[in-house]
Amino acid sequence: MSDTTSPSSGDASEAGGRTFGLRFATDRLAGRILLAVLLSMLSAAGLILLSGHNPFTAFAAMAAGAVGTPHQIGVALNRTTPYLLAGAGVAMCFRAGVINIGAEGQIAIGGIGAAAAALAWPGGMSPIAIVIVLIAAAAAGAGWAAIAAAIHLGRRVHEVLVTLLLNFVALILVQQLLAGSLGQKGAGFLQSPLMPREVWLPRFPGLDAHPGFIIAILAAVALSFVLWRTNFGFAVRVTGSSRPATAYAGFSLGRVTWGVMLLAGALAGLAGGIEVLGIHRRLIEGFSLGFGFKAVTVALLGALEPLAIIPAALFVGLLEAGSLSMQRQVGVPSALVAVIEGLTMLFVLAATVRRT
Amino acid sequence: MTALLEMRGIVKCFGTLRANDGIDLDVQAGQILGLLGENGSGKSTLMKILFGMQRPDAGTIAFKGRELSDHSPRAAMAAGITMIHQHFMLIEAMTVVENVMLGWPEAGDILQTATMETRIREASQRFGLDLDPRARIASLPLGRRQRVEILKAILRETELLILDEPTSNLAPTEVADLLSILRRLKEEGKGIVFITHKLPEVLEVCDEVVVLRDGRVTGRAPVADVTRGQLAEMMVGRTISTTRAHQAPELGPVRLAARDLVSPGLEPLSFEIRGGEILGIAGVDGNGQIELVETLAGLRRMHGGSIHLDGQDITGASVARRVRAGMAYMPADRAATGLVRSMTVAENLMLRDSRKPPYSAHGVLQPGAGVAKAESLIASYDIRASGPSAIVSRLSGGNQQKIVVARELDRGPAVLIAHQAAWGLDPGATRFVLDRVIALRDAGAAVLYVSSELEEVMTISDRIAVMAGGGFAGVVPHDEADMRQIGLWMSGRAA
Repeated sequence: MSDTTSPSSGDASEAGGRTFGLRFATDRLAGRILLAVLLSMLSAAGLILLSGHNPFTAFAAMAAGAVGTPHQIGVALNRTTPYLLAGAGVAMCFRAGVINIGAEGQIAIGGIGAAAAALAWPGGMSPIAIVIVLIAAAAAGAGWAAIAAAIHLGRRVHEVLVTLLLNFVALILVQQLLAGSLGQKGAGFLQSPLMPREVWLPRFPGLDAHPGFIIAILAAVALSFVLWRTNFGFAVRVTGSSRPATAYAGFSLGRVTWGVMLLAGALAGLAGGIEVLGIHRRLIEGFSLGFGFKAVTVALLGALEPLAIIPAALFVGLLEAGSLSMQRQVGVPSALVAVIEGLTMLFVLAATVRRT
Repeated sequence: MTALLEMRGIVKCFGTLRANDGIDLDVQAGQILGLLGENGSGKSTLMKILFGMQRPDAGTIAFKGRELSDHSPRAAMAAGITMIHQHFMLIEAMTVVENVMLGWPEAGDILQTATMETRIREASQRFGLDLDPRARIASLPLGRRQRVEILKAILRETELLILDEPTSNLAPTEVADLLSILRRLKEEGKGIVFITHKLPEVLEVCDEVVVLRDGRVTGRAPVADVTRGQLAEMMVGRTISTTRAHQAPELGPVRLAARDLVSPGLEPLSFEIRGGEILGIAGVDGNGQIELVETLAGLRRMHGGSIHLDGQDITGASVARRVRAGMAYMPADRAATGLVRSMTVAENLMLRDSRKPPYSAHGVLQPGAGVAKAESLIASYDIRASGPSAIVSRLSGGNQQKIVVARELDRGPAVLIAHQAAWGLDPGATRFVLDRVIALRDAGAAVLYVSSELEEVMTISDRIAVMAGGGFAGVVPHDEADMRQIGLWMSGRAA
């Protein structure tokens, strides 16, 4: 199973390098991924040319839109946050050979958890309130992942099916709650009331970035430690490489699956909570713009290596943040960014899938 | 009368191994020929060459007087040769008639299902196959599925039918039915090659028997003229060095005791191994060996019985607990079970011990200690690798196995279960593995040594058990072992 879906689990360690410890993807793999990104950008340039625009001005406009002003940098970092959190969680699952496609739903449920906790908050004590609301978001996401894990392990339904289908259930659940108990009466949109000011994530002055990005980077660093320096991480890597060897080594497939699913669910839920507290300050329908689905791309782009997922998430975050200004200034539709993302995914898969 | 099939001087080498070393084989029309031999004696290679799946290095094949050379399986089938494999090539979701029509031009571009069903019923009646053309394959027992393969051969007017271990998956009554079907095919003038290692069946149904050993024909006789004992001797009767490598030390107390082990593929099985003793298990592969070792190692659930290690009940213990209790296990499947080949030497050396010092403390791995430990194991077990961070898949097979040996023996186990521990290794590496196992026994451990290489088992064991049909056909101390008796045990249930 891991042959096609977790392309790097063999490659990452293939070239040797350091035995233990924090490490990035090996040079060869990193090179191949960079080449894949380059090829996708070249293809995008070709498409821009075909549409009658100059690719250089289009990319320049995109770059300016992403990092031109402190405000835009902040927007890009905010956009990067959910990709990094959910992507790192997905990577842990893929490392264990558990193909978790459920981040989108876990983000949505995390949003519900955050909204419910925030709206129930009695008031005051801002920093503690934020921490508690974010914990509620992570717990909700983990709970949603737990349903998938229980069905997968208990009834032996393939995890791709379970996690994928639960996404749609989660999205409908958000709608239902917004139409009912969590919704704002008479708003005309499916949205919750505005949250109390105490739970809003602060913004760095002049930058418009909330601290979510820092949380996400800390999470990626922590995951890298877990993966490479703990016994649990070792079990995860063995599980992803060979199921018979997992049993032989005395690791429990069930325990590893539970571990990575809860971890990924909590991180995705946290991403949802940060979106709600940091961007919208209320729960709105469809607040996750496919973050959870693209988290899979990000995880693979980062070679399932928690630290390498930081630049991978930044790449996608910057692309998307810059796409609107490209559309405004050059007239290239911002949907082109979705094309670039798709092409990148294809090229990365083609470049990294192990030949057996 | 010319023979239906004449194979002359067939030679096939794989590297230095001469799998077929000048084999002659004749089959007459209306004859059932038994092809006997142990694992690796060259039976399958010979049949693959006949069927066009492999090219011989030398030799000729003539079928119905016409030469067959450089032929494909398709050409062999067109000439009238059919091979029925041990694992059937049927599509389970389809019916009998659909499977018969599959890939057969005579079924018509627009499928003539009704005509075909009639033909199947006729053939089924004539040969006593008792097949319903509309039955779904998935709903048929294995014996019936095999008849579908035979039916396909009959309808396609096969003249030579090759059956590879046709009875290995069948129940006794199904075997009897199969043999009577074969007799009817013989009456119709078909030639049949019956590949097996089970002597009773050969004696019952075959007209002539050819015995292969080490790629050569070691016996050829009409069945009427031979006894089971003679056949067994032809099969196994090489001059095996029965001298033991080392003299056994004093036997200690019982360290491993298995009582009435039952699991799928395993008959109630009881044995004890004492400290300082190697119990060798011989037998043809697929007679319950993997079931036995995996049950002992905790990788397979058992349905009944008990296992005690040093008096401690480990019947329901997890793999990790068994390791802690002092059980070492070298699995036959090194590539996927015994090693994680995409990981480093150091990581593989700690595969089953990563929870303990020096490899980890409080769940956190200790890289420095792990590397130091790996370096010392690499030195003391002579693992030829560039260092602890070398990737295992880059190592030779012998060095890969040394990693397993180092990991399992360094723990100082009370009991070692070794399954095909020297399989595929060159003589030097084999010697190394055997010496380490013997050293462990001399240190007072109990060893269960399972191998399909009889010579290996004879060299290393203090006692020898032969597995057949999921149970022990016999157990004998090394000094009282009689090769003919062992051959008989291997080829069927107790004589």
